[in-house]
Amino acid sequence: MRDALRRLRAGLDRRMGAWIRRRQGPDRDPVRLVRGRIYILPTGLGVAYAVMVVAMVAGSLNYSNNLGLGLAFLLASLGFVAMHHCHGTLSGLELRLLASEAAFAGQPVRFRLLLENRGHVPRPRIEVSAGNEAPQVADVPSCGAEAATIALRSLRRGRVRLDRCVLATRHPLGLFRAWAVVHPDYTAIAWPQAADRGRLPPGVETDTGGAQDRARGEEDFTGLRPYQPGDPLRRIAWKAYARGQGLHTKQYAGTDVVSHVFDWDSLPGLDVEARLSQLCRWVLDAHGSGEAYGLRLPGVAIEANIGSGQLQRCLDALALFDLDDGDD
Amino acid sequence: MTEPAPGRLRGLDGVLAALVVSVAAHFPYLPSWTLLLLLAAITWRWTADRRGLPLPPRWLGVTAAAAALVVVLAAYRTLNGIEAGTTFLVLMAAAKLLETRASRDLTVLVFVAYVVLYAALLRDQRLQLLPWLLAGTLLATAALLRVHAGSAGDSWRGLLRRTSALLLQALPLALALFLLFPRLPGPFWGLAAPSSARTGLSDEMTPGDVSELSVSGEPAFRVRFAGAPPPPVQRYWRGPVLHEFDGRSWRRPRGQPLPEQAVTVSGAPVDYQITLEPHDRTWILALDLPAEWPAREAYRAYDFTLLSPRPLTDVASFHLRSYPSYRAGAVLPLSVRHRDTQLPPSGNPRAVALGRELRARYGEPRAIAGAVLRMFRRLPFVYTLQPPRLASNAVDEFLFSTRKGFCEHYASAFTVVMRAAGVPARVVTGYQGGEFNPIGGYLLVRQSDAHAWSEIWLDDAGWVRMDPTAAVAPERIERGLVSALGADEPAPGRLRQASELWLQVTMTWDAVNDLWNERVVRFNEARQLDLLERLGFEEPDWSTLGLGLAASLATFFVALSAYLGWRHREPARDWPARLHAEAARRLRRRGLVPGRTEGPAAFLDRAAAECPDLARDIRRIRDLYCALRYGPSPESGDLGRLKHLVNRLRP
Repeated sequence: MRDALRRLRAGLDRRMGAWIRRRQGPDRDPVRLVRGRIYILPTGLGVAYAVMVVAMVAGSLNYSNNLGLGLAFLLASLGFVAMHHCHGTLSGLELRLLASEAAFAGQPVRFRLLLENRGHVPRPRIEVSAGNEAPQVADVPSCGAEAATIALRSLRRGRVRLDRCVLATRHPLGLFRAWAVVHPDYTAIAWPQAADRGRLPPGVETDTGGAQDRARGEEDFTGLRPYQPGDPLRRIAWKAYARGQGLHTKQYAGTDVVSHVFDWDSLPGLDVEARLSQLCRWVLDAHGSGEAYGLRLPGVAIEANIGSGQLQRCLDALALFDLDDGDD
Repeated sequence: MTEPAPGRLRGLDGVLAALVVSVAAHFPYLPSWTLLLLLAAITWRWTADRRGLPLPPRWLGVTAAAAALVVVLAAYRTLNGIEAGTTFLVLMAAAKLLETRASRDLTVLVFVAYVVLYAALLRDQRLQLLPWLLAGTLLATAALLRVHAGSAGDSWRGLLRRTSALLLQALPLALALFLLFPRLPGPFWGLAAPSSARTGLSDEMTPGDVSELSVSGEPAFRVRFAGAPPPPVQRYWRGPVLHEFDGRSWRRPRGQPLPEQAVTVSGAPVDYQITLEPHDRTWILALDLPAEWPAREAYRAYDFTLLSPRPLTDVASFHLRSYPSYRAGAVLPLSVRHRDTQLPPSGNPRAVALGRELRARYGEPRAIAGAVLRMFRRLPFVYTLQPPRLASNAVDEFLFSTRKGFCEHYASAFTVVMRAAGVPARVVTGYQGGEFNPIGGYLLVRQSDAHAWSEIWLDDAGWVRMDPTAAVAPERIERGLVSALGADEPAPGRLRQASELWLQVTMTWDAVNDLWNERVVRFNEARQLDLLERLGFEEPDWSTLGLGLAASLATFFVALSAYLGWRHREPARDWPARLHAEAARRLRRRGLVPGRTEGPAAFLDRAAAECPDLARDIRRIRDLYCALRYGPSPESGDLGRLKHLVNRLRP
C-alpha cells in the first residue's frame, strides 16, 4: 500500500516535472524567478491547519459563538497571508552560476550557485536541491546574495550537466511550500578516475631548463623535503634514511626540469577508458612531483609544461576525449 | 519522523510560552492538577532542552497519552464538553512535550495552543477575554514563525514585529469574513451542557445564599426601556419562584407543570429589551409582570416566571412588555393552594404558633400580612449582609432571638408565618432595583441587586407581592443595597458610590461591555442583513452575503499581492545618475556630449564654460551631484534640489 502510494507519487512528480519543463523551456543564466513560474501547494501541516480552522468555523457557527468565529476567521485569513508571503519569498529571486568545480568520476562535482535578492526584504529558508540530494538551505539577505552549492555525483568521466534544479521555501509559517523549477545548462567536468599506481611512465627527456638559469646548478643543495612518490631514486637522502629519519628527497636549486610526454600510443592493448585512467594517473603523479609533462592523444597535443593550469588542461582533455561536445 | 535535532530545538521556547498563555485563558475553570501536570512537563522539557538531556523513549509518551485519556474519562465520564475536552487536550499536549523532537512536533503543539485558546472562547465571550485572545494568537503565531523562519526568527523583538505585521495584514479579510459569513439560525448538533456553575440565582434558597450573591458586583443583565424607566419601587425582576420548604431551605419543585393561570393587566405597559449575561439556567428575569414575549424564545410558567426553552449559556436578549399593575390568577386551583400552604410537620414551632395566633386574631389574610410587616417594622430587626449563623429552627431563631438578617431571612420568615396562618404564600427570588447607566442609556442590574420577596394569595386580588425587606429597610428598595446597610458594613459598590470619578469609570467600562455584547457577541443574521442594507444593498439576502464575500476575498488577494510586490520591489534606481543623464540629454541641444573619458564633473565644468548663461545652474548641479554621489553625508533636500535644477535647465 505504502509502496504503491510512493510509486504513484513518484509518477505524479515525474509527469509534473515534464509538464513544467515543456511549459517553461530551457533557462539562460541568470534566471529570475518571475511570478508565472512559481508553484505553491499547502504542506501536510498546512492541510492540518485548514482542517483545524474549518472545524473551528463549524463549531462556532453551531454554537453561534462570535468570538470563536472571529478567531477562526483570523486564522483562516492568516493562512492566506502566509500563502502570499510564501510565494513572495521566492518571487523575484535570481539564480546564477558562480563556478562549477570539476572532480574525478565517482566524486561529486560542485556547482556553486548565487541566489541574489535585489529587494528590500530578506528571503530566508530557500531550499536549493537537484535530483534526490538533500536540499541545501540558504538565508538570502535583503539587497544581497547568498551562495549555495549543489553537488552532483557522476560515475563516468565527461561533462556533468545540471539541467534541473528546484528552489523551494516554506517560509514563513510552514503551511505552504512554494517552489520553482529552473532548467539551466550548467556543466562541470568529471575527470577520469586515475588508475592504480604500478605502470611506470615512459622514459624521461631532460629539458634545458637548468641552462636558462646558470646561477642555479645541480650542485646547489638547498634542503630536504619529504619523499613524494615519483621522486627519482638518486635524489633520495639515503643517509637521512639510515639515521631513521624516514624517506626524504634532496632538493637542489636549478634542478633540471624533467619533462614527460604521456602518449596515448604508449599504452597499446588497453581500452579507451583504461588508457585515459592510466594517463590521468601519470599526469597526477608528474604534477605531484613538480615535473613538467605534456599529453598526446589522438587529435590532441598539449606541450609539456608545469603548474595547475597545465594540470587542468590535461585533465579536461582526458575527461572530454572522444566525447561529442554539447551532448552527453 | 525526523531524528532529534542536534543541539537545542529551534522555537521550543516560543511554543512553550504560547501553550502557557492559551491554557492561562482557562485559568479558573480547569482543574489545578491539569495545570500542574502541564507546568511540570513544560519545565522538564525546557530543562532537557537547555541541558541537552535525552528525551524519554517513545513508548513513554504513548503511555502518558493513554493515561491522560483514562484520567479524563474517569474524571468527566466524557470527552465531549469544554472542560473535559480542554483537559484532555492540555494533558495530550503535556504528553506530546515528552517526545517533542522535530519542528513538526512543535507545529502540532502550536495548533494545540490555538485550539485551547478557541475552547476558552466557547465557554465565555466576555470582553476580558479579548486580550487573551490577541496575546495568545500573537504568541502562538510567533512560535510558528520561529519554528519555520530559520535564523530570521532569532530575535524576539523582530519576531513579534513580523508576527504583528502578518496578523495586521490578515485582519481586513478576517473582519470581512466575520461580517459577511452566513450565520446559522440555530445549532445543527447537540450542545454539551456546561458543567461549571456560574454566579446567579439557583432553584434553591438557603439563608445566606442571596447575601453571598450580593457580594458580587458582576452584571446580571441590562435593560433598555423604550420609554422612561419605571420608578425604583416597581423594579422587581422576577426569577424562580420557590414553593417547597423543608424547615430551612426553599426549593423550586421540579416537573409537574401546573396549568397556566389567567392574568389581567391594567395601566401603562413598560416596553423594554433585556440582555442577560449567561447564567446557564432558563429563567429570563422579566419585570413583574411579563405580559408579552417572543413566542418561540420564551414562555411564562404557571407561577409567572418567564422561562426560555433552553439554558442561557450565551448572552441572550429579549424584547418584552410588562405591566407593573396586574392581577395574577383569577381562581386558585386546589393543587396550588395545597402546595403553597404546606409546612414541614415539625420545626419552627414558635413561628407556626405565631401564624395561628394571628389567624385567630385577624382572620383576614390582608390584615395578617399587615400585622407581620408591622412586627418587622416595630421590633428591632436589623437588615445586614452578615447575619449570625442560624441552627436547626432557623425561622424561629431569626424571628425571636437574632433578628438580624438579609432579604432571604425576611422573605422566608414572612412566608412561613403566612402559611402557618393558612394563607397561600411563596418565596419569589429575583433582582430588585438597578443602576441607570447614563453613558450607555440602560439600566444595569448587578448580582448585588439579587433579592427575595414573598407573594401571598388574596381571593379578591390574586397573587400579591409582599416585600418584608421594604418594611425593615425601605432604603433598600428606594436607593439600593449600599444605602440600606450600616455604614460600617462592607458592601459591594460602596467604593463606586463614594467616588464620582470611579463611578464614571465603572459606568464607562460597563457601557463598553454592553456595546461589546450588542455589537460583537450578539452579531447575527438579522444584524448582518441590517448592515448590508445600511451599506446600500436593497433587500439583501444570502446571495448578497455570498457576493460580498467573493468581492472581499478578491479585493484582499489583489491588495495583498500588490502590497507584497511593493515590499519586495527593487530599490529605486540611482537618482543622481539618472538626473545627470537627463542634464546631459538637455545639454545636447547646445552640442555638448560627454566625452568617452570625461567624468560627470568634468563634463559639467566644460558645459558651464561653454554656456555662460547657464553657468550658475550647471555649477550648482555639479556640486549637488558630487555631494550626493561622493559626499560624506548628503543632506536630505539635496536630491530634490538637484531634480529641480535639472528640470529648470533649458538650454
